[in-house]
Amino acid sequence: MTDAASGAVDRSVQVKLVLLGEAAVGKSSLVLRFVNNEFQPNKEPTIGAAFLTQKCRLEDRVLRYEIWDTAGQERFHSLAPMYYRNAQAAVVVYDVTKASSLEKAKSWVKELQRQANPNIVIALAGNKIDLVQSSSSPSTAAPASDSEDEADDATATPGETPGSAGEPESLRQVPREEAQAYATEAGLLFFETSAKTGQGIIEVFTEIAKKIPIEHILASTRGAGRNGAQVSRPGASRQEGNVNLEENQTKGRDGCNC
Amino acid sequence: MEISAVLTLGEQGIEDAYAGKLYLIPPYLSFTSLDRKSVRFTMPLSTVRRVERLNARAGVYALSLITWHSSKIIVQLTSLRPTADAFCVLLRDALKVELQRGQMKVVKGFVKTCYSEHLLSSSSSSSSVTIADSSPATEREDGELVPETKEGQEASEPEYLGGLGLKFKFPGDPRKLREASKIKLWTTYLKTHGRNLTLLRYPQCTRLVQVGLPNRLRGEMWDTLSGSLYLRYNNPGVYDDVVRQIREKTGTLLGKTSTSFEDIEKDLHRSLPEYAGYQSEEGIDALRRVLQAYSYKNPHVGYCQAMNILAAAILIYMSEEQVFWLLEVLCDRLLPGYYSPTMHGTLLDQRVFESLVARHLPDIHDHFQSVDVQLSVASLPWFLSLYINSMPMIFAFRIVDCFFCMGPKVLFQVGLAILKINAEKLLLVQDDGGFLSLMREYFSTLDDSAHPTSPSPRTRAITCFQHLLLISFREFSSITSEVILAERRKLRNEVVNTIESFAKRAAVRNLRTFGRVGKERAGFVYDALYKAMCEEPPPPELANGSPYGLSSKDVDHGEMAGVTTGTLVQVIDGQQEKVETKIGLKTFRVFLGEIATWARDEKVIFNGFQQRIDRQVAEHELIDRLFYFWDTSCRGSLSFQDLVSGLDGVMFNDLMESIEWFFNLHDKDKDGYLTKDEVLTLSESLLFIFRHEIGDTYLGAVSRFMSNAFEYGDALLDAGHGRGAGDDHGFGERRGQEREGYANLGMEEAGMAERKRATEISNNQPYLNLATFRMVVLADEILESFFETDLAASFRLEPVIDLELPTHASGGLLGDLWSNIATSDNKRIFHKLSDELGKTIGKHQVVYRPAIGRYTRAEEPRARESILSPVPSKSTTGSSSGDSYTLAPSTSSSTLTIEPPLPPLPHDDNLAPALTPSAALSSAGLATMPHLQAVSAAFLERTPFAIDDVGDEDGDDEDDSELDEVHGGDEDDDQVMDEVDAFLEANDSGLSEADKQVARDLVNAKPM
Ligand SMILES: Nc1nc2c(ncn2[C@@H]2O[C@H](COP(=O)(O)OP(=O)(O)OP(=O)(O)O)[C@@H](O)[C@H]2O)c(=O)[nH]1
Ligand SMILES: [Mg+2]
Repeated sequence: MTDAASGAVDRSVQVKLVLLGEAAVGKSSLVLRFVNNEFQPNKEPTIGAAFLTQKCRLEDRVLRYEIWDTAGQERFHSLAPMYYRNAQAAVVVYDVTKASSLEKAKSWVKELQRQANPNIVIALAGNKIDLVQSSSSPSTAAPASDSEDEADDATATPGETPGSAGEPESLRQVPREEAQAYATEAGLLFFETSAKTGQGIIEVFTEIAKKIPIEHILASTRGAGRNGAQVSRPGASRQEGNVNLEENQTKGRDGCNC
Repeated sequence: MEISAVLTLGEQGIEDAYAGKLYLIPPYLSFTSLDRKSVRFTMPLSTVRRVERLNARAGVYALSLITWHSSKIIVQLTSLRPTADAFCVLLRDALKVELQRGQMKVVKGFVKTCYSEHLLSSSSSSSSVTIADSSPATEREDGELVPETKEGQEASEPEYLGGLGLKFKFPGDPRKLREASKIKLWTTYLKTHGRNLTLLRYPQCTRLVQVGLPNRLRGEMWDTLSGSLYLRYNNPGVYDDVVRQIREKTGTLLGKTSTSFEDIEKDLHRSLPEYAGYQSEEGIDALRRVLQAYSYKNPHVGYCQAMNILAAAILIYMSEEQVFWLLEVLCDRLLPGYYSPTMHGTLLDQRVFESLVARHLPDIHDHFQSVDVQLSVASLPWFLSLYINSMPMIFAFRIVDCFFCMGPKVLFQVGLAILKINAEKLLLVQDDGGFLSLMREYFSTLDDSAHPTSPSPRTRAITCFQHLLLISFREFSSITSEVILAERRKLRNEVVNTIESFAKRAAVRNLRTFGRVGKERAGFVYDALYKAMCEEPPPPELANGSPYGLSSKDVDHGEMAGVTTGTLVQVIDGQQEKVETKIGLKTFRVFLGEIATWARDEKVIFNGFQQRIDRQVAEHELIDRLFYFWDTSCRGSLSFQDLVSGLDGVMFNDLMESIEWFFNLHDKDKDGYLTKDEVLTLSESLLFIFRHEIGDTYLGAVSRFMSNAFEYGDALLDAGHGRGAGDDHGFGERRGQEREGYANLGMEEAGMAERKRATEISNNQPYLNLATFRMVVLADEILESFFETDLAASFRLEPVIDLELPTHASGGLLGDLWSNIATSDNKRIFHKLSDELGKTIGKHQVVYRPAIGRYTRAEEPRARESILSPVPSKSTTGSSSGDSYTLAPSTSSSTLTIEPPLPPLPHDDNLAPALTPSAALSSAGLATMPHLQAVSAAFLERTPFAIDDVGDEDGDDEDDSELDEVHGGDEDDDQVMDEVDAFLEANDSGLSEADKQVARDLVNAKPM
């Protein structure tokens, strides 16, 4: 109900984004981190799908992510098309400590590429990276709090595929290189993330925002399209800042005007 | 047996008399009032303590029943006298049986598990209500002394079952929930109307449920109202047994790899995590046990997310065993198919809901259509989690109360009311997101006043939730259980088709490669596969979501183990359901019979009434050989991909490729040579393929092939020792002779003869290479044309249809009969019947349909001049298909020509009418897969609960009085009672004054 809102909101670009991936890989946690910057260790499984919004700014324009967080269990699969129809972006999540979850992710990518909006921007996210990082963290950013997590990881069997030699990543089942190679081949954005520590989350949404053909969306959603890129000016002047997306966590999950 | 009856409660002045039907379904006795909602009971016969025939006015036949709980019920049997007598006899016999089974003693122990017993025994001293006619130590009709009531109630130490709430507290503020008043009202009700096993459900009961069950009694009432109580009563110890079995298996393959168990494990800590009970191991363990037990006992359902939330919620109020049985009723009877792997029940009810919205709230429906908003984005989780996941728990539980009492229609009524209340705002919604946000907003205000600006404090005190229930039951009272059932029936096919086509699309999409088969034909392969799986379900270890990924085959092939486990692990973890289904040999035979003309026996049967084709799956070594040939990864099973790839390898071959394919098929060790044995097997394969062809053209060809193969093979062997090839003297003559010989010998003997002749090298040594084989084949025009087109064309990918020929001209008796036949079993019987009839009138004929049908007449086979100079393929003998076929009938001597011709392809206009009988099975669409429809229809058919039809109760409040809390939330339970009374007054029993008088008299009547 954008009509009711102020002009600035009205002129932001709406991006419909869907999260897909095997059950319990951390889709909901990832969204919660992005939208509320928080982490709940015991998040209820998603039934059907959850809907959240987050507004953020990229350079001089305001984006309003409408996020559909879907249920991961295989039997909810047939419902997925209901949620990914008309999506402009998708984040396909797998769990780096569970090899099978990458297989599931691949099949989601395949489905999206064949059935979803042809211009959809797809990002592949290997989540729970905190579990496989030791204090001497390789290449990637912030060292995570140590991985003494319970429950979920208990089921994970010790890695059948140790990553590149020398890494103390006993829990890791999906080597970064393997997923990266697949993502490149399939034309996806690729990230390793942790909803628990927040690592890599903002990047996912930033890179998606950059890749999305915003002009195109503007033109199609705002019928006339006369305002084009300039329109977002007022919004930009209101909340200054630059490339960073983090600014408006304040409003939380209901940050949208609905 | 059922009988018309008028029910009166023994204690005068409490309830009206109701007319209805009394059912004796041993071991239960049950009553339903005529409107099927006002009054009902179902009690085990073992709870009937005493039955007496009453001495009443002339012409009145009445029984007085005294239950375990000392309620006195009077039933006046209003059917004719002989019926009433018969009923009494049956009742007495059934009671005796129960007594002999020792069930009467079981009751005592069982009722102790119910909280109500505890409640009443502790309140009995202070209660002012007296139980009428409670005579001490009553004697049963059969003379056995039954312990008196008080003894049953004595055991008042808390032996009753209860949920986590007893220890971890119940959600909600007991004061605000007015627990004390509710308990008081229920105590009164249960005292006069029986309880648990003997509960009599009068309108007041429903009314009290609508006001919200008190926490302590909630579990038991869910148990009783849903009927799960009876399952628990009838299956003592089963739950513990299942739990023990699981414990014993934990650590074995099952415990570790069952997909369901894995999924359950993922969700244990994600079920109502905010509730204290689930922050303790105690709660988590109980939840694990219950979910595992259910999925273990119901592998076809397994575990579905959302069940964890339901189970966790219910477990607050009920013991594990009670939850276990309640889940059974919930998943099986109340919400059939909701949590199954396809979730067809969920999808179906979403469609039903949508159609109800279209009918009752057309504005919203139209608006949603115009802005492309999907109802299910919001409503699916409502239904799937019984609103527990959508609104604050204390409110959701009140909906659950009504749900167990009145059935699934409640979910629809509440859903419609939610939309109606928010109609104005919904009409402004522009997209799915807006819709969801609005709903979330609404659910967060349920505790607020519904009329905050009203001047009247009473009105102001009505909460949004009360308002919601009011609208649900008042405005949508027309949504009865019958309406829901009818809608489900109407929309079922549509939903089945959607699911099926979705599964198909997904499976086709997941193929790694189509090869030349292409997407569309892959779809047909899928259809045939699906059909085959319906007819011959793959063994459980191959079926999807299998707990054991390894088939015995894998274990045997030690050297394969590494490879195999690699793939299988993926299958188990990655794609649990549907997608990676594999089939075994048995299913493969059916599958191949679907698509390869030679892999089935088709009998065309005429019996004077109908003409039909009986299709039977053939069995032959060739079919099994093909199975293993296509099983390239040696897993002893074939996936959809294997089948598509396999077909790709044969369906599009030209002459040379076909020959090579057939050669490879028989070259088991793949060394590029056939052994002599393999040459023989190959010949047998050919004979098998040609077994129904007309005439002995092919027989001759195969004989020539054999002799040529051995002749030439030997020649080459010799050539290998220095002699030149190409010595074909006398070939023609010998061929001629041999043809005669073979025609007379059986195939087996022919093989033996060959074997004997060619003993120079041992039978299992490399003998014939591809080049030679090719030459031998090309030497024969008939075989050449077979390999050029017929072999490839014998695989047919077309829409799967039933091979049912129309019952033309017959009409009349059998025609009518036909249209009443639904199942394939019935059809078989029908066919048999008409065959028998046909035989008696001498019109029964059976003709085999040929697999290739190139030769329409017995024809002299012509041999080629030389095997070394194959003529470019120009098949002159074979005419194109579609000509009229002359078939040699096997049972009658006359030759019969079918007009119009039997089409060789099942997909032919001539067959179109054939679909009518089976299409009649399904009211809507999908004429191409009537078979699947029948199967799916049966699949969706819910089994009605014979004992306690929960769906029948209808809570439509004719009176406008609002729920008790409506009146300002004051603690005055008299007021609540007034409301209930007002409600009751408004409900007429539908009996005339005179009838009521009779009923009233009976209360005071003396036993005969
Ligand atoms: N250590 C760690 N645990 C995580 C991370 N993300 C999620 N989890 C945990 O994984 C479990 C599942 O997380 P969810 O976000 O509910 O998973 P989901 O993908 O939404 O699951 P479904 O809704 O069932 O499809 C929870 O117990 C989380 O606490 C992470 O980055 N690191
Ligand atoms: Mg989730």
